[in-house]
Amino acid sequence: MELEANYEIAPTADFIYSRNFTRVAIQFPDDLLKDSTRVVRALREQLRSLRKCSTEKNGDSNKDVRLFVMADTTFGSCCVDEVGALHADAECVVHYGHTCLSPTTTLPAFFVFGKASISVSNFVEGLSNYALTNGKRVVVLYGLEYAHSIKHIREAVEEASRLSQSKSKSEIRFADVKCSVMNPSDDHNNSNGLVGPASNCTDNSTCGTRPANSYSIGGLTWSIPDGQRMEDYLLFWIGSDNSAFANVVMTFNGCDIVRYDATENCLVTDVSQQKRILKRRYFLVEKAKDANIIGILVGTLGVAGYLHMIHQMKELITAAGKKAYTLVMGKPNPAKLANFPECDVFIFVSCAQTALLESKEYLSPVITPFEAMLAFNRGSQWTGEYVMEFRDLINSCPVEVRNGSEARFSFFHGGYVEDFDLQEENGGEDNEGTLALANATDKVLQLRDNPKSVIKGTAKSGPEYFAARSYQGLEMHHDNSSPEPFLIGRSGRASGYENEKSKQEEL
Amino acid sequence: MVKFTADELRRIMDLKENIRNMSVIAHVDHGKSTLTDSLVAAAGIIAQEVAGDVRMTDTRADEAERGITIKSTGISLYYEMSDESLKSYKGERNGNEYLINLIDSPGHVDFSSEVTAALRITDGALVVVDCIEGVCVQTETVLRQALGERIRPVLTVNKMDRCFLELQVDGEEAYTSFQKVIENANVIMATYEDPLLGDVQVYPEKGTVAFSAGLHGWAFTLTNFAKMYASKFGVDESKMMERLWGENFFDPATRKWTTKSTGSPTCKRGFVQFCYEPIKQIINTCMNDQKDKLWPMLAKLGVTMKSEEKELMGKPLMKRVMQNWLPASSALLEMMIFHLPSPSTAQKYRVENLYEGPLDDTYANAIRNCDPEGPLMLYVSKMIPASDKGRFFAFGRVFSGKVSTGLKVRIMGPNFVPGEKKDLYLKSVQRTVIWMGKKQETVEDVPCGNTVALVGLDQFITKNATLTNEKEVDAHPIRAMKFSVSPVVRVAVQCKVASDLPKLVEGLKRLAKSDPMVVCSIEESGEHIIAGAGELHLEICLKDLQEDFMGGAEISRSDPIVSFRETVLDKSSRVVMSKSPNKHNRLYMEARPMEEGLAEAIDDGRIGPRDDPKVRSKILAEEFGWDKDLAKKIWCFGPETTGPNMVVDMCKGVQYLNEIKDSVVAGFQWASKEGALAEENMRGICFEVCDVVLHADAIHRGGGQVIPTARRVIYASQLTAKPRLLEPVYLVEIQAPEQALGGIYSVLNRKRGHVFEEMQRPGTPLYNIKAYLPVKESFGFSQDLRAATSGQAFPQCVFDHWDIVSSDPLEAGSVAAQLVTDIRQRKGLKEQMTPLSDYEDKL
Repeated sequence: MELEANYEIAPTADFIYSRNFTRVAIQFPDDLLKDSTRVVRALREQLRSLRKCSTEKNGDSNKDVRLFVMADTTFGSCCVDEVGALHADAECVVHYGHTCLSPTTTLPAFFVFGKASISVSNFVEGLSNYALTNGKRVVVLYGLEYAHSIKHIREAVEEASRLSQSKSKSEIRFADVKCSVMNPSDDHNNSNGLVGPASNCTDNSTCGTRPANSYSIGGLTWSIPDGQRMEDYLLFWIGSDNSAFANVVMTFNGCDIVRYDATENCLVTDVSQQKRILKRRYFLVEKAKDANIIGILVGTLGVAGYLHMIHQMKELITAAGKKAYTLVMGKPNPAKLANFPECDVFIFVSCAQTALLESKEYLSPVITPFEAMLAFNRGSQWTGEYVMEFRDLINSCPVEVRNGSEARFSFFHGGYVEDFDLQEENGGEDNEGTLALANATDKVLQLRDNPKSVIKGTAKSGPEYFAARSYQGLEMHHDNSSPEPFLIGRSGRASGYENEKSKQEEL
Repeated sequence: MVKFTADELRRIMDLKENIRNMSVIAHVDHGKSTLTDSLVAAAGIIAQEVAGDVRMTDTRADEAERGITIKSTGISLYYEMSDESLKSYKGERNGNEYLINLIDSPGHVDFSSEVTAALRITDGALVVVDCIEGVCVQTETVLRQALGERIRPVLTVNKMDRCFLELQVDGEEAYTSFQKVIENANVIMATYEDPLLGDVQVYPEKGTVAFSAGLHGWAFTLTNFAKMYASKFGVDESKMMERLWGENFFDPATRKWTTKSTGSPTCKRGFVQFCYEPIKQIINTCMNDQKDKLWPMLAKLGVTMKSEEKELMGKPLMKRVMQNWLPASSALLEMMIFHLPSPSTAQKYRVENLYEGPLDDTYANAIRNCDPEGPLMLYVSKMIPASDKGRFFAFGRVFSGKVSTGLKVRIMGPNFVPGEKKDLYLKSVQRTVIWMGKKQETVEDVPCGNTVALVGLDQFITKNATLTNEKEVDAHPIRAMKFSVSPVVRVAVQCKVASDLPKLVEGLKRLAKSDPMVVCSIEESGEHIIAGAGELHLEICLKDLQEDFMGGAEISRSDPIVSFRETVLDKSSRVVMSKSPNKHNRLYMEARPMEEGLAEAIDDGRIGPRDDPKVRSKILAEEFGWDKDLAKKIWCFGPETTGPNMVVDMCKGVQYLNEIKDSVVAGFQWASKEGALAEENMRGICFEVCDVVLHADAIHRGGGQVIPTARRVIYASQLTAKPRLLEPVYLVEIQAPEQALGGIYSVLNRKRGHVFEEMQRPGTPLYNIKAYLPVKESFGFSQDLRAATSGQAFPQCVFDHWDIVSSDPLEAGSVAAQLVTDIRQRKGLKEQMTPLSDYEDKL
């Protein structure tokens, strides 16, 4: 049955059964939700049959497994919704569909990638043709939905290269899927939080001790021999132009990247749009440098280390002399973020694949933690290197020592800009004691030149921003003690109130 | 050359009455640098140990190569006046020694920001005008600027040698053309009547006009000749001077002065008779090698020649004779000393222009009195690259107090607001430096009235700043300079090797410092942009960037980019409405073009957000016909809160309106920065808020709902009001002989330019052509023009105004639509404009 194969009913049931889970949350992305009832039914049947044969064998009486369907997750559907699962008191999560394979904090998870069809012969032909003309070494990466057919592809490629041994010199490597089972990262030393046995590994060689220059991104791992750089490789991506691909392009922006679109059966060599995104991100970093008030958007409550990241961001921002506010918000959109017009920039702490928000429509730009580090760490420079997953960032050196010798140059103002408070921190400690009160009153009694104008990026904190607004709250007219006349309000619906309807008809 | 030690120079710097700070300004190629050279050769101060260095002011290799000045260069001159010649000097003085700080400035219009920077720190200006070409567009521009800064001008009519050698014009003709030149200059100066500065017009008979030949190193004022003849005629020197100019004729036959030509062949104008003819005679005698005639004449004039000089023949002989007879340095330097103000005189009236704060506080008074004991007030006008790579001297003028090595100063940047801490630094001056020729000498301190270079502040000053003592917390800054050109031509730069990006960033930072005008910025698409005043300016900047500031790392540049503006032609065809994301709030708006001249008035700062509302509504009502009440309802200007667009509240009796005002303003600032057509700035659009429907609960009409809606409704109203692109247009001035006109016209036609003025210069075969040329078409214009006229025409382009691109950008296939597509493509936007239906909602 197609459904069973596609949703890997049997391995899932095995997983649940072998670990004795009794409450299981199954998470669907919106587009697969329609299949959920059938999947649940199939799973239940499978589990029942498993139990039946085991009770027959050893006479254990296992309790019935309860399955909970979760949908419409608060954050991106690619991450495991641990909070949602905990509401149902679940012991593990089965995740269907596209995933970022971000490590989980508390619950073990089983991932079902789904199986997309691919024409193996067509692909192998495309790959070997391109690799031949290019002459570079190749690493093949793929969307997880194609993981099931990688084995065939690998064989076919080997076959093909054996046939045309004389010509083909280029080396082709394949990335491996780490595993489809994930245990929460209780061991903090192991930063990627993957300890479970690789049940679905297509190659055993990479499991175990990993060589020094191995790479992993979005659940794929591969390694290259010592002495070679990733820039020497051609990346061959199988799959659609989705966020996983964008993630790869951004992280390996020094490499040539070719995309093989399996549904269209064609090669896409032009990735200039993605390169453009990189430059755009650079612009956002420059813009973030000018920000005074920063909102930290918590975009995940599941990915391992998110709390650590948020704290690190806060430290970073405070050290840069700026003000940070933390906002928890599911699926940010322009209207939500515009409710915080005082924030000059937002940092979106989320899994690698949802972190890139094209913030053109947003009032203030939204950047990733990595970009924030570039922007707020004095002396760090944009070198082209790009890190999406923040667990890699946590390990990177945190706040550097400011050399403080030069004021910061802003490309928006075309000149030096510097916050005076920062300089004081370095030099004038004498202000602290005796003069503190005098300084405070000094600030209070400042004559504001033009209280009316609200310019983004001038206020240093929320209260300061609000103080500069023209509207400060309800106006109390104490002198006018007589009550307001009684008025009849609008009635009808927001799409057009009754009085407006009639106006429209008159026109 | 005068050889000095730093201590000797420093001593004279204390004599504030004996200092003259002046700049040399003129049109390109009128001979500033050559003239300056002859002054420097005679009176330039150089360090004791360096000797015999020439070409002091054009220090850069490319300056010498192109034959134009690019950067302004300061140089100090020393001149000792004799007691006798100072007899008639009425002003205050302190001994006979004079220190003249001279700044040679570039004449090409692309570099006129350098002129602005030079004028700020000087008190007087020597205006150089070519006697044949006359007053040109750049002469006019720099003169305007000088007078705007309250800089007193003196004039020199240069290239006199051409009259005698090249054109061989006779006396009367020459007089008329000189007269014309002076008159033209005076016409410009007269428009800047300033009661404090007094009469700024120049008069040969008062000694404020010199006649010079920079190339040959001689010059005279009428004073020189008046002295010579005064005793002969037995009249007063000043009386004699008056007779040497204007309608004064002398007939040697009758030995009578008349005010009209008597018609007798021997009756000649005083100037011709006593100045022009003798010079002409000497020159002719020299050129014809009639040495037997020459020596007696020279003896009569009291000119002595060294024996080896007597051996010279022809032109070199003539040069030497003239230099000995009428040395340029003494004529010009005496003119400057007599007629240009000392710092202490000049700062009395300049303080109003300079100081931003109240004119009766201690700082204003210290500037006014040029008080060396007062608080330090120093204006840094430019940054000069130092020999060690990447560092800069902060070059400026001390207006009051003293700046010394090790002094802790308060640096107030251009965005500093008194009482706040933005753009303010406290740093120590590492060294104070003065220039002696090309050599820098460290001195203990520099008193007010002098120019100075400071080491150690370059990491906190981008282009200019005001410095004061650490404790002077209530000092206001010195007013920022106003430039006559604006950076309209832009290129995107990129490094060829991606890892060079940090180098590029550093290089751009340095470039931004090294030039007063250039703007280094970044585009939405992540490209680095360099903006300059013109093609030549950009070319120089790019060269500097690559060679000096990036250590030769390779960069690639895009084609020049022109920034456009978006405007509207008409009132919106209907009142447009947009709903908030929750559909509970509605904004109704209309766009209309601003009245003519209003956008310019906002640009000039005559109308702005910081005005007193009463004053603003008065101007709006009287000049632009606004309703008085309406003028009070302007919510804001934008983009950047000062731009030439605005939002006006036209609502009547709307609840909670004041509550959403900030949100609408935020949306407007955003939208006016990125218009609906191609995300270019808007210009000259007035948005009227017609009606507003809001949800009764405050939470549902918050910023999140209103800001994006305000942006959308602004776009919708822009798109319904016949949106148009505005393109920048240059004013081009070309000077060329008649036979080149055909070529000029054909090039201009090809480039969509149109000529609006063509005028023959009286007395010359030269034509003056003024035309408008779209900036977009101006790239390569100079080369094309040179090719079409075999090098006879040389254009000067200055940004003049914004012009509407007449075609409709919404109509597919039109020129404007193509422009929009191109811009969107470059910016990496969707090629198609977002349609109106995405912005406008229906009930």
